Amino acid sequence: MSSLYIHIPFCLSKCPYCSFVSYPGMDKLHQRYVAALLLEAQWLHQNASVSPLSTLFLGGGTPTIFSGRELAQLVSCCQELFAFSDQAEISIEANPKTINPEKLSLLRHSGINRLSIGVQSFNDKELQLLGRPHSAEDAAEAVQLARAAGFDNISLDLMYGLPGQDHYSWQQTLEQAISIAPDHLSLYELTVEQGTPYHLQRNQGLLDLPDEENMVIMDQLTATLCRQAGLAQYEISNYARPGYECRHNINYWQNGPYLALGAGAVGCVDGRRRQKTCDPRHYCEQIESGQSVVQEEECLERTASFRETVVMGLRMTCGVSKIQLQQRYEMDLDDYYGDTLIHLVNQGLVEITASHLRLTARGRSFANQVMAELV
Amino acid sequence: MKHIRNFSIIAHIDHGKSTLADRMIQLCNQVSVREFKDQMLDNMDIERERGITIKSQTICLPYTAKDGKTYELNLVDTPGHVDFSYEVSRALSSCEGALLLVDAAQGVQAQTLANLYLAMENNLEIIPVINKIDLQSAEPEKVAEQIEDDLGLDRDHIQLCSAKTGKGVDDILEAIVKFLPPPKGDPVSELQALIFDAHYDAFRGTIISCRLINGTIKAGEMIKFMSNNATYKVEEVGLFRGVSKEPQKQLSAGQIGYILAGIKTISDTRPGDTITHKDRPCAQALAGFKMVQQVVFSSIYPISTDDYENLATAIEKLQLNDAALTYQKDSSVALGFGFRCGFLGLLHLEVVQERLEREFDISLILTVPSVKYNFYLNDDSMVEVDNPAHFPDPSKVSRVEEPYIKATILMPERYMGVVMALCMERRGDNTHYHYPMPGRIELTCELPLAEVIYDFYDKLKSATQGYGSFDYSLYDYRKSDLVKLDILVNGELVDALSQLVHRVNSRARGLHACEQLQREIPRQMFKIAIQAAIGGSIVARTTISALRKDVIAKCYGGDISRKRKLLEKQKAGKKRMKTVGNVEIPQKAFLAVLKSEQ
Repeated sequence: MSSLYIHIPFCLSKCPYCSFVSYPGMDKLHQRYVAALLLEAQWLHQNASVSPLSTLFLGGGTPTIFSGRELAQLVSCCQELFAFSDQAEISIEANPKTINPEKLSLLRHSGINRLSIGVQSFNDKELQLLGRPHSAEDAAEAVQLARAAGFDNISLDLMYGLPGQDHYSWQQTLEQAISIAPDHLSLYELTVEQGTPYHLQRNQGLLDLPDEENMVIMDQLTATLCRQAGLAQYEISNYARPGYECRHNINYWQNGPYLALGAGAVGCVDGRRRQKTCDPRHYCEQIESGQSVVQEEECLERTASFRETVVMGLRMTCGVSKIQLQQRYEMDLDDYYGDTLIHLVNQGLVEITASHLRLTARGRSFANQVMAELV
Repeated sequence: MKHIRNFSIIAHIDHGKSTLADRMIQLCNQVSVREFKDQMLDNMDIERERGITIKSQTICLPYTAKDGKTYELNLVDTPGHVDFSYEVSRALSSCEGALLLVDAAQGVQAQTLANLYLAMENNLEIIPVINKIDLQSAEPEKVAEQIEDDLGLDRDHIQLCSAKTGKGVDDILEAIVKFLPPPKGDPVSELQALIFDAHYDAFRGTIISCRLINGTIKAGEMIKFMSNNATYKVEEVGLFRGVSKEPQKQLSAGQIGYILAGIKTISDTRPGDTITHKDRPCAQALAGFKMVQQVVFSSIYPISTDDYENLATAIEKLQLNDAALTYQKDSSVALGFGFRCGFLGLLHLEVVQERLEREFDISLILTVPSVKYNFYLNDDSMVEVDNPAHFPDPSKVSRVEEPYIKATILMPERYMGVVMALCMERRGDNTHYHYPMPGRIELTCELPLAEVIYDFYDKLKSATQGYGSFDYSLYDYRKSDLVKLDILVNGELVDALSQLVHRVNSRARGLHACEQLQREIPRQMFKIAIQAAIGGSIVARTTISALRKDVIAKCYGGDISRKRKLLEKQKAGKKRMKTVGNVEIPQKAFLAVLKSEQ
């Protein structure tokens, strides 16, 4: 199994909670950036032996800030350079404000078969507070257009725990999302990341975030509504109709290898995780002059990698496979953790089945407490 | 001997003692530019960081005076904190003179006086030096008046300098040669050498700093310590030159130098003790020797019980260089095995804690510091108790006595009211005051030592906006009404948090401890009750609500490393916590209980 991630670090505007590598403006750089991506793809093709790709993910930023033609070119270029396995999953992230029927049609025809729409909320007031450039109606329309263009695997991104939000509001958003029958939902509790305007506001006491009691109610609502809608939780923040789980992301949680192209993108091959330079301009210059864009590299020793794989795997509802760990690391989960694991089982935070170690429902609420013991 | 001058610099903290020493060292070309660093004589990181001197240091400076002759100037740098006043007095008694350093802006302070008295007790010739004359706020004229009128020192001898810029420092060196007397002593009589400090060197064993009063000493001779009759063979003697030691054929009366004699444990070398020859001993030991007295006691535990052996080794090593530290095994239900340690004061305690954590990389928990109480039992026997764990059954106790100190506080007149109030609040007694100089009050007060070790000095500093200074000496033991305050976390007694307190303060202390713990213990997956109890009754209570969730929402390819590091940080935080019952208590919660309310 092989995966490729392509990062498009541009956006219409920067949202106040966003800590991703993404820059508003820089319109003049877009074309040059696409060219640089193609160059880097060629370099990758020549220097790395890549087995057929089973997943490709165009993420951002807002990939759909590019024209349909540019994106289609990018996908077809990858298809020419790298072999794709049958039924490969090719995803793209989209902002409702940046799509139209023609663009969607171009994308679908280029081979993209999964669309992840960044909706965040179906409440216009909340959308405004989040600094999103689209309305709730735009989002609903985007889904219709995507269906019309032939997308039969559509995911929506929503956030909860927003400033000023109560659980009634979240319930409305979630019900509305479910009513348009998405195949997949990513439901994220807002995380106030360092370096974002939200972080500053929170430190100044200006961010009116829901209290923990409300968050717990929202979590319970989420579980109930998704279950009723036939969307099964398969990861801490992800829900899908059976068979529509995102294979690209599952590969991350299994701590599998993945290639990456683009500024700020992170790839992990042969146990080496490399992050590329975040500044798109610098990225272009380096690529054009044939120089390395690697900014940071990390290579964990075997036991540290083992622990990371366990922790990442626990994010998934099915947990981490003991047999796969044994095969990959020649290490036994129970032996390695010993009493630590027994203690977690006794606290009702994890359970050990014949084949897997996984979080219990209670453990999912305290995932960090469990992971901090096992990391 | 005519060309030797032994002197010390005495000063209030921050009046520039170490800087002046630095300049003298540079003027006498004792250290190359490459080797030179600020606070030359402060070897330890903690000394440099805090700008205080903890261990005495000695340096021998060859100085060619204006009369064309070369003198051997021995500078003995002494510690500058009340915790170490005995060490200071021993260092002073190895000298004939002292520079009394006074800050040109701040004038005479409590420690200036205390140290001056010490110097006078040791019959030292004093040269007053006004430092920091380069400061804008400097008032050298006014300070000179203080020195003449209030301290009774000769104004004509006052030297003005700026240790920072180096101005006036050469005149000081000249004054040392001119005004300080050379040492007296008889090189041919029996050996009498005063130990005033000792350092431990991993390769060479104990390095004794000593002053030869009478006689001579050289390698190969058998020596004897008069306090314990221990005998050793001298391996090497020499002088302290710059950063290194310079071996000599012999040391002779009047000189200050070092002795190496294969001494493995520093606790055998007691400051104030007299060294003499085994075969030709002197008639009597030098006066002034006292066994060092520990006044503050606390137990030290490793956070991880696996670290016990490491801690044992570390304390042992640390004590090699710090004879004032005492320790013995201790154990706690909550914390496992550790050591009960005795310290000279709170600063000493902090220094030991920092050195253990820093130099030996062990995370520690310290229990609430205690003084030594005398418990008189119904059968009229007396037990000394410095550990809450050994609190006797109250029904068997007829009375308790606690140590009192005599505190001397020097401050500008305007703070008299707040300082008096502070002393009263701390159960102060027998307060007297007088004006040693216009506008300044010297307040003496008898205070329970237990109140002083808690946070008295911090409170005094803030009450007087930094202008109050403080010195104390142990005074006597007085009747007290003592109770044992226990802390329970989720119903479990955390013995390491127990403290002995006066009944009057017990409820407030209990509440304070509960509040501090509430602040410092992170929420956990269940509710936590924190209670303070005396005997069987609860006197204070706080609760920590349960944590409801703790989860990272988002983690994809680009996040893995960063999120893993967050988890590793959380894990490291857990490692620094002590699990009591099922509650994880962080190290800083233990420390917070020791701290006073802000």
